Amino acid sequence: MSSSQQSIEVRIEGYRDVWVYCEHEDGKLTRPTTEVIAGARKVADKVGMDVVGVLIGYNLGDLVREPIYYGADKVIYCDDPRLKDYQVLPYTTVLSDMVMQLKPWALLFVTSEIGKDLGPRVAYRTRTGLAADVIDLVVEDFVMNLPTGRYVYKDCIAQVRPDFATRIAKIFTPKHRPQISSVRPGNFTPLPRDESRRGEIVRWEPRFDEDDFQVEVLETVRVPKSEVKLEEAKVVISLGLGVLRDASGRPRNPREAYELAKQLADLIREKFGVETEIGASRALIYAELKELEGLITKDRQVGQTGKTIAPDVYIALGISGALQHRVGMQRSKKIIAVNVDPNAPIFQIAHYGYVGDLYEFLPKAIEILRSM
Amino acid sequence: MTKAVPARTTRVVTVGGVLRREEMDLVINPLDFKALQAADYAKRYNGGKLIAVSMGPDFKVKPLLSELYSHPIEGVDEAIVLSDRRMAGADTWATAYTLSLGVKKALDLNRGAVEEVLELVESGASGEKVLERARELYHANLLPNLVYTEKPGLPEGVVQRYAKGRATVEEVREALLKVRTELERFLIVAGLKTSDGETGSTGPQTAEALSDALGRKIPDITHVVDFEVDAESGTLVAVRKTGSYLQRLRSPLPCVITIMPDYRAGVTPVLRRKRAALYSYRGKVREVRVWNADDIGADPSKIGLAGSPTIVGPGIDIGGPPVQKFVGRTRVFTQRVEAFEFNGKTYGPFERFAKADDLPEELVRELEAKGLVKRFDLRDLLEEVFGGVLVAAKH
Ligand SMILES: Cc1cc2nc3c(=O)[nH]c(=O)nc-3n(C[C@H](O)[C@H](O)[C@H](O)COP(=O)(O)OP(=O)(O)OC[C@H]3O[C@@H](n4cnc5c(N)ncnc54)[C@H](O)[C@@H]3O)c2cc1C
Repeated sequence: MSSSQQSIEVRIEGYRDVWVYCEHEDGKLTRPTTEVIAGARKVADKVGMDVVGVLIGYNLGDLVREPIYYGADKVIYCDDPRLKDYQVLPYTTVLSDMVMQLKPWALLFVTSEIGKDLGPRVAYRTRTGLAADVIDLVVEDFVMNLPTGRYVYKDCIAQVRPDFATRIAKIFTPKHRPQISSVRPGNFTPLPRDESRRGEIVRWEPRFDEDDFQVEVLETVRVPKSEVKLEEAKVVISLGLGVLRDASGRPRNPREAYELAKQLADLIREKFGVETEIGASRALIYAELKELEGLITKDRQVGQTGKTIAPDVYIALGISGALQHRVGMQRSKKIIAVNVDPNAPIFQIAHYGYVGDLYEFLPKAIEILRSM
Repeated sequence: MTKAVPARTTRVVTVGGVLRREEMDLVINPLDFKALQAADYAKRYNGGKLIAVSMGPDFKVKPLLSELYSHPIEGVDEAIVLSDRRMAGADTWATAYTLSLGVKKALDLNRGAVEEVLELVESGASGEKVLERARELYHANLLPNLVYTEKPGLPEGVVQRYAKGRATVEEVREALLKVRTELERFLIVAGLKTSDGETGSTGPQTAEALSDALGRKIPDITHVVDFEVDAESGTLVAVRKTGSYLQRLRSPLPCVITIMPDYRAGVTPVLRRKRAALYSYRGKVREVRVWNADDIGADPSKIGLAGSPTIVGPGIDIGGPPVQKFVGRTRVFTQRVEAFEFNGKTYGPFERFAKADDLPEELVRELEAKGLVKRFDLRDLLEEVFGGVLVAAKH
């Protein structure tokens, strides 16, 4: 770049605050929502703005205070009988109107069925960008080198998301506001709930169009909650395709690996009083092994298309460590990798490596832990 | 809607974060086959036609769409690629905008054909003349069997009967108006997400873009696990997942849905087959159509990189490698060792399990001889991890 080229600072003025669209179920904020409030806090504090919780629904009651208890400075809520169930058209209208009138600087959703529906529609209607599946939010300048100069867009949010092309990509929305993202669960730790926190609570009066209510909710049924609590476990022991054979290449019954992993998990739970859970790679789940039927189910998948988790300890047994797997577990505080292949990519991010057979590791580890 | 995605995620070509689709091997996005299956089901149930719409460089995408004609999912009748250099680098906003204009053009084409015949009939054109034009439009796949057909086993079309004096103007008009009404009741099906972008945003955003293009709000339903669609009444009933709930929704058509990977298409009831046949078209137009930005009347400032609010910054590595210890390999201290001197240099202090590998080899051997350093073993590992981290976490 020639030295004569000048830097041109660009600031998009007139937009303030980091909004969080707060999802709620059964009168409570969902856990991922409280995580996103923590993420919003991090960004807002950097640029000296407020965190605003946005709530939409019917008969919200005391729920309107919850975002503040979890770290928001302010709440805007819309309470209307026609908003009882989530519906994309009226919800888009309410939220887009709020955005266009009040001009937030950023708007964060949870990556969920609702966030992935409402977020895109609001972003389209308000003519701004959307970064989906974000795992981190960082404030930085965005620099664009053009023939006409070096443009520096001050204080943008780098919306960090997994990207197969470049490991991790930063998505910027330099010229449009608000900057909208959906944030994957499991990437921020909720702030402790504090009932002594106070903040402004504002009611929003909706204005609907005739055709906002074309869609009718006929029925809502609860799906049985999964018993698998990967996100909450302190120790996760995950199995990969390595369970198929032992180090000498002899086929093994994968059920054996599962039982051993389960024993280890139970032992750790008893000994140290922490929640443990069994996870799996997608390859193992997709293999649909008869021996693991009903045991290694889809809700145990860790990774880009499964769950993103950050337990205190993650033990990867016979998992190669494909990027799609890693983005789901790399924030674990201690990663133990067990793999026969010393060049397996999982070792690049492991704190502890065991180059060897998982069928050897498991019984040994169980024995040692018993004696500890 | 379907997208061509890189065949192998390990060989992706990007320039400044923008995918260079023209330089890669591409395949149809795997989850889009679920969308095709769902659309095919809707067609078997109602008749009509199944159009595959895609955006991407035509020379890459055309062959993939051509293959769809012979795919086990039978139903694809027509395929359209929206291709233009100016469309490259589009984010989901610009993609949705572009796709919505493609859909609108396809709709206008079909509606135009029906309206043309309607006008002919109403202007009092001879039966022969109407018949001739209807035949052309039928061969262009623009009129359903109900209006004109050469399919054996099906009753003659209303225009054919009109030409023979066996149907009144009124009957022709009624049939054409019905076809036109049903054309407006279309369904757009998208896969849940693509294997490259993984955003899942294009479905909902296309509904929003289409709302702009058609001047009325078009609903969308994401994460659909099951649905029935009835062109006769113009309604869609879909079951979708939201949080811990399943919602059953009724929406008017048009509507945009995104299909969950575990969707399975049902069997078409026999009762529907006759209706479906009457409202179906001649069939596969094997030539894949290519429309550029001008063909669809796109505003150049809203397509491609120029129309995209988001910009992908340079890729980055996530965190440096951690301090690593390998069982049987890494050498570690067996106990806390206070700071000491060796060859005139100060080392330490060292905690138990601190790595000794980076110290001078000579020193390490001396420490090993004294029993202060040894190879890290599995017991050490478990002790360090569970003795420290978790006990601390408990309090
Ligand atoms: C769009 C997309 C999304 C994806 N999403 C996910 C996701 O969410 N989660 C996910 O996990 N994957 C995901 N994948 C798949 C991912 O790319 C990998 O294919 C997958 O993670 C591999 O699983 P694995 O490590 O179990 O199997 P493999 O890659 O086959 O690895 C098996 C490993 O076990 C080792 N091994 C063999 N025998 C033993 C033994 N006896 N003891 C110890 N080690 C042994 C081998 O050396 C090897 O490293 C996705 C892929 C795509 C394209």
